[in-house]
Amino acid sequence: MTALGDDELILGHRHAEWTGFAPHIEEDVAFSSIAQDEIGHAAAYYSIASSLTGLTRDALALGRSVGEYRHAVLCERPNSDWAYTITRQWLYDRADCLRLTALEESAHDDLRHLATKIRREERYHLIHADMWMERIAHGPIEGRTKLTQAATTVLSATAGLFEPFEREADAIGEGWLTVPSEELGRRFVGEAVDALDGLGLPAEVTPDGWRAEFVASSSGDLIATDRSGSGEASAPAGLGGRSGRHSPDFSALWADMTRTYRADPEATW
Amino acid sequence: MVNEATADDVWVALETVVDPEIPAVSVVEMGMIRSVEVGAGRASVVVLPTFTGCPAIGVIEQDVRGAVSSVPGVVEVEIRMSFDPPWTTDRITLEGRRKLKDFGLAPPTGEGPVLITEIGLPSEAICPFCGSRDTTNQSLFGPTPCRAIYHCSSCKNPFEQFKAV
Repeated sequence: MTALGDDELILGHRHAEWTGFAPHIEEDVAFSSIAQDEIGHAAAYYSIASSLTGLTRDALALGRSVGEYRHAVLCERPNSDWAYTITRQWLYDRADCLRLTALEESAHDDLRHLATKIRREERYHLIHADMWMERIAHGPIEGRTKLTQAATTVLSATAGLFEPFEREADAIGEGWLTVPSEELGRRFVGEAVDALDGLGLPAEVTPDGWRAEFVASSSGDLIATDRSGSGEASAPAGLGGRSGRHSPDFSALWADMTRTYRADPEATW
Repeated sequence: MVNEATADDVWVALETVVDPEIPAVSVVEMGMIRSVEVGAGRASVVVLPTFTGCPAIGVIEQDVRGAVSSVPGVVEVEIRMSFDPPWTTDRITLEGRRKLKDFGLAPPTGEGPVLITEIGLPSEAICPFCGSRDTTNQSLFGPTPCRAIYHCSSCKNPFEQFKAV
């Protein structure tokens, strides 16, 4: 539950960084709105987590240390350029919809109801991302090149979204989760590759498993390593987030995001 | 002596509670009240939030509590937020739709309740100012999570639509 909330909160935080800086005002508003949605979804997941752990929503969202967050590394990566932002939003929201569809069958009542609610809202995010992907994919070569580079990086990092959750076996045993993360990941890659193909961006998936390099060789890994700045061992493939191993990018985001809360954790707003 | 409060009294009180971002329409007309139960001075109200990330929900909860508390005979109030069933735009009453339009906000889908069961393209928007269907979507996202921005080709006005969910 916390991992689901963390994905939404951290990516929501990154989306919100476009407020005031997007290419035009409609996109300022769009990313602010999408960020608000995602952070709202995070708050709803934390409400459920709160009823299970006894911690408050604020303590869950802002009161944990860096290593206690369970989001995928993909979510914490800086926004980079517009192509990267759009590609990440596109692939993340597709992955999210697949996950939500599975959660709509959950035996946990609150989780099932929430997933149903969230998926209805997410369709606007998908329409937004689809529109931009098509616009860039069918535009000038410069945009297509950036999109291919971004797709390489993001697609390999989406593996981090489908790493098993902590105690996933228990959650499946209880019926809270209905499909193992790895199985969802396999479905996701199939869908993502088809969708990229539909945009005229054919991707090659290595036969030894979907987590390996996509599209042109290992360029995705190189880009990811450059972006993290330090070449940390766990960073390039985007794995480790579900067990609290994050990149240096997250330390900076965390310091910024939790600064106000840490100044006075007892404050009432 | 104070009469025993009834569920009807509570419903009447709830008609005074509005979404602070759309002050023209009550939470009852918005279809946000799932149920009201009253017994022995205790009122239980189940509220369905419109959008998960709606920042107004805290204020709405507070206002619902205030309104229900003010009903004579009610001594204890329980407010519960629920996503079961998910709030959807087809819950907005016909009167609610009319008031949205008068407020300058195009109602979500056509003129009557339409159930959106599947993920698909957003529905058309009818200009709340001139009634024209000759409108184009400018952005799926507007000043609040529940609004999209359109332009009317007939009267040339920009307008907002309450998004269908």
